[in-house]
Amino acid sequence: MSLKSSPPECRPNRRDALAALAIALAALVIALIYYIPAETASLQVSVSVDGRVEEFAPLSRYAGVHTYSHNGYTLTVSCDGATVQVVSANCPGQDCVHTGAVSKAGQSIVCLPARIVIRLSGGAADLTVG
Amino acid sequence: MGRYSVKHLTLWALLAALALGLSTLDGILPLSALLPLPGVKLGLANIVTLFALYVSGAPAALAILTVRCVLGAVFAGNASALLFSLLGGFCAMGAMILARRSGGLSVFGVSLCGAAAHNAGQIAAAMIVLGDTAVVGYLPFLLLLSLVTGSLTGLIVSRLLRAAVYLPLS
Repeated sequence: MSLKSSPPECRPNRRDALAALAIALAALVIALIYYIPAETASLQVSVSVDGRVEEFAPLSRYAGVHTYSHNGYTLTVSCDGATVQVVSANCPGQDCVHTGAVSKAGQSIVCLPARIVIRLSGGAADLTVG
Repeated sequence: MGRYSVKHLTLWALLAALALGLSTLDGILPLSALLPLPGVKLGLANIVTLFALYVSGAPAALAILTVRCVLGAVFAGNASALLFSLLGGFCAMGAMILARRSGGLSVFGVSLCGAAAHNAGQIAAAMIVLGDTAVVGYLPFLLLLSLVTGSLTGLIVSRLLRAAVYLPLS
């Protein structure tokens, strides 16, 4: 409690800009590493529930409506053969529903309360989410 | 606790209550409808944490943070919420303490480091809870978002600290 004797610097300075740049660079590096496309011919979809892989199939073969339940929450997942999306869920945040359709490698739909992860891999990568 | 005055304890209790209120408000705001990233929040409670770090020092700020996280999880009735808030909060606090001690950074820089570390901690918590690394894909977006939220927190705290010079806090 010595604000009067040694007041903190409250104006942004050059080092702050460097810190911001470092964070942006870290984001870029992680994105590049994570979204580098795998050398596979077609997109694969994997669905893991509580850390266990429940389903792993080519996206084209996954077409249809699927339901997954865990932790008292149920997700209804729809796939048209090219995109996957959670069409309804009874989780409180609805983040998984708001994510919308995913169609590119590296994209994923995560439902934290239900501990369900739907992930696309292979094919060509894209940096967009949702 | 004999070395702490009633005035200090009262201030810290008030800050903890304020942090808890802001944390609850953060959970209510429908930010995820705009940005569909799991766990995306404005981090309003970090305003209190950063303010406490400058006004009361690291031990008091850490105590306020712990009280906020534990009570928040108790009120939410969710054990995994405790893991998320503790990992995120302690990562942010550690980064802000180090950034402040390193010197040269203003309140804005310290706030940016805290916001970025908070997101990294929360992603780590999500990886533990989900048992899956898929959430790492969200980290770049959350880190970029932390530049905005960290700047906002820095702006608010810098204004608060300027005003706090005139308050009888010591």
